Amino acid sequence: MEKLLNEKESLELIGQMINTAKNNLEKGTGKIFLLWGYLVAGISFGTCILSMILPKQTAYDAYLLWFLMFFGIPFHFWLIKKRENERLVMTYIEKLMRWVWIGFTLSVLVVVVGMLLDTVILSYFVSRVKEGNDFVYWFQWLLLTPIMLCLYGFALFVSGKAYEFKPLVIGGIICFFASFFLFFSIHKTGVMYFQQFVLGVSAVAGFVIPGHMLNRKEYKNV
Amino acid sequence: MFKELDPLLHSQLRLAVISILIGTEEADFVFIREKTASTAGNLSVQIEKLREAGYISVEKSFKGKMPRTTCRITPAGISAFEKYVDALHSYLQPK
Repeated sequence: MEKLLNEKESLELIGQMINTAKNNLEKGTGKIFLLWGYLVAGISFGTCILSMILPKQTAYDAYLLWFLMFFGIPFHFWLIKKRENERLVMTYIEKLMRWVWIGFTLSVLVVVVGMLLDTVILSYFVSRVKEGNDFVYWFQWLLLTPIMLCLYGFALFVSGKAYEFKPLVIGGIICFFASFFLFFSIHKTGVMYFQQFVLGVSAVAGFVIPGHMLNRKEYKNV
Repeated sequence: MFKELDPLLHSQLRLAVISILIGTEEADFVFIREKTASTAGNLSVQIEKLREAGYISVEKSFKGKMPRTTCRITPAGISAFEKYVDALHSYLQPK
């Protein structure tokens, strides 16, 4: 049966239907935020504590904890696959956000892999020349956390504004402030431990708290 | 002067389908059925009419073992929708 509408009813129906998918949040997004949020926060706090406990000569070994991040990758793809199977609609915002987060991941990889490779090359060069100015060998690592926080801030802020979800916007702003603050404290003694602590707090503010709130919102939307 | 309303879009269910698709990149048959509160049979018929007119594209695939039907609006569908909305405005605000 085809029901014909008058002009006013037609316009009302159009508005009503367009709004059905507006600000749609893909089910499962919250879990992805929680995976990386807890992983980054746990590793940051772990590194901070471990580097204070370990003897001074081996304190930097605590940073090896960051290799645990690789364990997040299979879980991430499992969550993505699950989300894809449950997805019933894709809005233009979701499509755009997908590319924003892919861009974010590539930016993180460029910075981390770039620094790792640079360190390997520099350590080889410095150990051969033995000029005694090997500060360049480790100085770049002081910039890693503020750069990461700036990238977190960007992705969270844009996502929060696109989905009109305030906790993500607030998380993004906290990451921006944390990044700004860490750039200014680079010269302080013991800044490496402090950076890890700030990174952990930012991961909780930017990923863990909004992740739990997203989960609750997705559950309510079902 | 009143513009002619596209008869293909001037029906409740087909207009609802096109309106959902205009705001999304793609939508699953189940999603459209839930949002339009229609029956699967009726929705299938209306979707087929829109597909035949070239207003939407329909892709059938499998999600695990479950069949999945995904709909997308085409450029011809977007153009038809815009003309339809224009025509509606001419009825509501006649000069």
